[in-house]
Amino acid sequence: MTKSIQHTLFFPHTPEVVWEYLTTAELLAQWLMPNDFQPIVGCDFQFRSKPKEELGFDGISYCKVLEIVPPKRLSYSWKAGPGNGQITLDSIVVWTLTAKDNGTELSLVHSGFKEIENFAIYQGMSAGWPIHVKKIGELINAAKHGSTIA
Amino acid sequence: MPQNMAQPSLDEFQAIADPSRRQILRLLSKERLTINSLAENFDMSRPAVSKHIKILEYTGFISIEDIGRERYCTLKQDGFNKLQDWIAFFDTFWKDKLKKLESLLNNKTTKK
Repeated sequence: MTKSIQHTLFFPHTPEVVWEYLTTAELLAQWLMPNDFQPIVGCDFQFRSKPKEELGFDGISYCKVLEIVPPKRLSYSWKAGPGNGQITLDSIVVWTLTAKDNGTELSLVHSGFKEIENFAIYQGMSAGWPIHVKKIGELINAAKHGSTIA
Repeated sequence: MPQNMAQPSLDEFQAIADPSRRQILRLLSKERLTINSLAENFDMSRPAVSKHIKILEYTGFISIEDIGRERYCTLKQDGFNKLQDWIAFFDTFWKDKLKKLESLLNNKTTKK
C-alpha cells in the first residue's frame, strides 16, 4: 500500500535556480507559505497557513531541516496538529532536483504519515474495511498519477 | 488503574497509536465481540480493556450495543474516515502550491 504523495515537475531552469525557490524563505513564501526557513541542517522552522478545524489543524506546520545537498536534495520533517503542542500529523517532505534536458526535474515526496501507517495494518483484512481501503488506495493513486509534468 | 485515563481529548490518531487498541480493532475486524470476550485476549484487567474500548467508542472506531446482559462491540466507519483526511488535504495542498511554483518560475522565463 502506497502511503505517500508524489509529484514530479519539469522546469526550464537550472537546478540552482529551482533550488533558490525551495530554500529561500522569501521565495518559499511566494508560492508555499509564510515561513522562517533557514537552509541549515537541524534548524527548526514553521510554515503558517489558515487553520483547518475539521482536520484538527491549527495552521502551524512544525518543521526541521533533515538534509541539505545543494542543489540536489532537501528534506524536512513536517509535523502538525490541533494546537497546544499536540501532534497528529508526523511526516517527511523530500525534494529531489535532477538536471535534465536543459532544465530541472523536480520531485516531491511527502511520506511517513505515521497515522496512515497505523491505518495500513487494516489492509487486507477479511472483513470490515475493504471499501475504505480501496478508497484510500484510489486517493493515493490519484495523487501519484496526477503528477504534473510542465 | 487510574480512573481518569480515558481523556476525552484523545483524537482518532491517538486512539490508534496504542497497540492494545489496534489489537482490539483487529479482533473486531473478524467479528463483533462482547467486552468480556475481548478482555480474554489481553493480560490486562477488564477495567483497563474497558477504558480502551471507551476511547475507541468516542473516537468513532466502534459502537457498543447492549444485547441482554452482554455489551457487544462492532467496528464503525467514522473514526477510519478521519484518518484519510490528512492525505486528501495534502494531495490538494501540494497540487495548488506546485502550480503556484510553476507559474512563478514560468514568469521568470518571460521576464528574461
